Amino acid sequence: MNRVTIELWLWLGKELKGFESVTEMRSVKEESVEEGTTIRQLLDRLARSHPPIAEKVFDLTEKRVYPYVVINYNDRVISPYEVYDKVLKDGDKITILPMYVGG
Amino acid sequence: MDIGGYLGKILRVDLSRRKTSIEELSEPFIKKWVGGVGFGARYLYEEVPAGVKWSDPENRLIWTTGPLAGSGVYGAGTFNVASKGPLTNLAGSSQANGYFGAYLKFSGFDGIIFQGKASDLVYLLVKEGKAEIRDGRHLAGKDVWETEDALRKELGVKEKDVSVYAIGPSGEHGVLYSAIVGDRGHLAAHNGLGTVMGSKNLKAVVAYRGKRNFQIKHPDLLKEKNEALFEHAKGFGPFYQWGTGGGFSALYGIGCLPVRNYTTNIFPEHERMNGQYMRTHFEIRPMPCYMCRIAHVKEVTVTEGPYKGFVGEEPEYEQLAAWGPQIGNTDLGAVVMLTREVDRLGLDCNEASWTIGWVMECYEKGILSQKDLDGLDMRWGNVEGVRTLLNKIARREGIGDLLAEGVMRASKKIGGQAEDCAIYTMKGCTPRSHDHRGGRWAELFDTCVTNTSTLEATWAGVHTQLVDLPVVSDPFSHEEVSTMNAKFNGIRQFDDCLGTCRIASTNPKLQLECVNAVTGWELSLEDAFQIGRRVVNQLRVFNFRHGMKKEDERPSKRYGSIPVDGPAQNKNIMEKWDWMLENYYTLMGWDPKTGKPLPETLRKLGLEDLIKDL
Repeated sequence: MNRVTIELWLWLGKELKGFESVTEMRSVKEESVEEGTTIRQLLDRLARSHPPIAEKVFDLTEKRVYPYVVINYNDRVISPYEVYDKVLKDGDKITILPMYVGG
Repeated sequence: MDIGGYLGKILRVDLSRRKTSIEELSEPFIKKWVGGVGFGARYLYEEVPAGVKWSDPENRLIWTTGPLAGSGVYGAGTFNVASKGPLTNLAGSSQANGYFGAYLKFSGFDGIIFQGKASDLVYLLVKEGKAEIRDGRHLAGKDVWETEDALRKELGVKEKDVSVYAIGPSGEHGVLYSAIVGDRGHLAAHNGLGTVMGSKNLKAVVAYRGKRNFQIKHPDLLKEKNEALFEHAKGFGPFYQWGTGGGFSALYGIGCLPVRNYTTNIFPEHERMNGQYMRTHFEIRPMPCYMCRIAHVKEVTVTEGPYKGFVGEEPEYEQLAAWGPQIGNTDLGAVVMLTREVDRLGLDCNEASWTIGWVMECYEKGILSQKDLDGLDMRWGNVEGVRTLLNKIARREGIGDLLAEGVMRASKKIGGQAEDCAIYTMKGCTPRSHDHRGGRWAELFDTCVTNTSTLEATWAGVHTQLVDLPVVSDPFSHEEVSTMNAKFNGIRQFDDCLGTCRIASTNPKLQLECVNAVTGWELSLEDAFQIGRRVVNQLRVFNFRHGMKKEDERPSKRYGSIPVDGPAQNKNIMEKWDWMLENYYTLMGWDPKTGKPLPETLRKLGLEDLIKDL
């Protein structure tokens, strides 16, 4: 099993069971995943266990994030063409951000 | 005027002769150009021929509003200013919210065209279908807040009885990035439109509040669509709850926060500088624009740190970025202080911040010394040094005289390594306060190919699904970004024709339904795109006629550089820049080698008369 960290910025944190609000705008959870688990599989699992994630982050029908969502992998923006099939390693971090308009 | 939403009247003000006159707008002209930037683009082309410099009295300063202003659509108090601007010496177009757009119409006009130059400082007053040019010499040297106060006192009116837009000391001293500022902190800021105003010796314009004096064709439908538009805006992004500063940390997360003049993308203090922090720690009071229920702008009192007790307008995202990470400042109270300082002096926050961030980097690297900077210690984060420097710039005192030219000209004058550090486009304007090398390539590209001197095609990135276009999957794809910028181009310029605020009108389809309800038209989304593209091409032909070249559609070395750290480390937009340009030009119906609109493109847009100019 590998340990990965999931971090949510600016939204949802306080609504999600199992996530710890480390600051007013960031919520964090550690998750154990089996060897070979991809980011898509992790997001799918999170969406199934946390309905707000299914509603606002990951579309369970399309199996991809909604248009206003950005996924960072180990603090780097990663192309959506690469992100979903990336196999998670021990110590990896996934950050889920809203792609806000304006400003 | 049988079209709803219009008075059908343009006020012409000849400042040289101190004469005003009223011109009728024809219905075909209104239908073709709609208002705002559309009217501005066409008048600019018709009245400012090649050879006229931005500072010539024959340049025009065109203030126009649109069919939604004052219609009851929430937040519709916006107006557009168009002119030939000093930073690019090409077209400039910029919008300000507040009340003026609505009050101008209540005063009897859809727009004002200023021409000539007054012999002394004057201001203009518009009320009940009449206009008066008044002596403004007593306003000389006043900042914009003092000017607003002085005019209200002189006219014996209360705060909301009039809308006042003015220039500050910077506009009077010819700082090339002076803004037109009014209604307590709203600005038409890009490309030195306040500098043009100053060159005409026009200090301020006052419009009176009044009652709606134009038709609304389908009032019940407007009420219904307006409500739906509000509900959409309320749920769209962070604006309603947190203001534009609500996106500050999200932008940091994708590498889009400008930190110390693009020398790094690391700024862990972002959580103490975002809209969420400000609205939960500082004292906040609403300061809405005309009939706005989103009210994304507030007044704040600083409650902690060295500026505790300071009262100012709430910094928006761009000011947070400009006076926070870009200058190496981590104190939010100081951002509030500098925001007020820049606005009252009448400067464009973006250009001012790129200029001062550049000074600070040059100082750190030893390119500029304390002696060069009139004794100022311009280390990163020295906010009082920044305040002093802003005041020197606004009055062109000492080193401020060089910096008043903007970052491109100042850096070229110093030359060498200093030039390599400067952030600008080769046309001479600067980006909004982002690091576009992060997840906003769409905006970097748009900023460089724009015909208005600021964003033209996109809205802070690409939100294409709102108009039934596919989503850009990869913000770092040269192909997707340049293709979608072209396909999306048009709807934002249509929006800028209407006289309403983008933050309060987030859904283009609902906004269009409001336009149809007000005017009685039956415009489709494709019609709206077509009108917007007409504006884009009109401005582009103006720019080519005034000397624009394809080579100018690029970022400076630093603006197009590769991030050295942070979320977008190693992302390189420039490796396919020329390909992006050719792809974009082709999709826009422009010659892929020159960027000039093709004759068939102009014909399709009803712009046959421009073909001869190219």
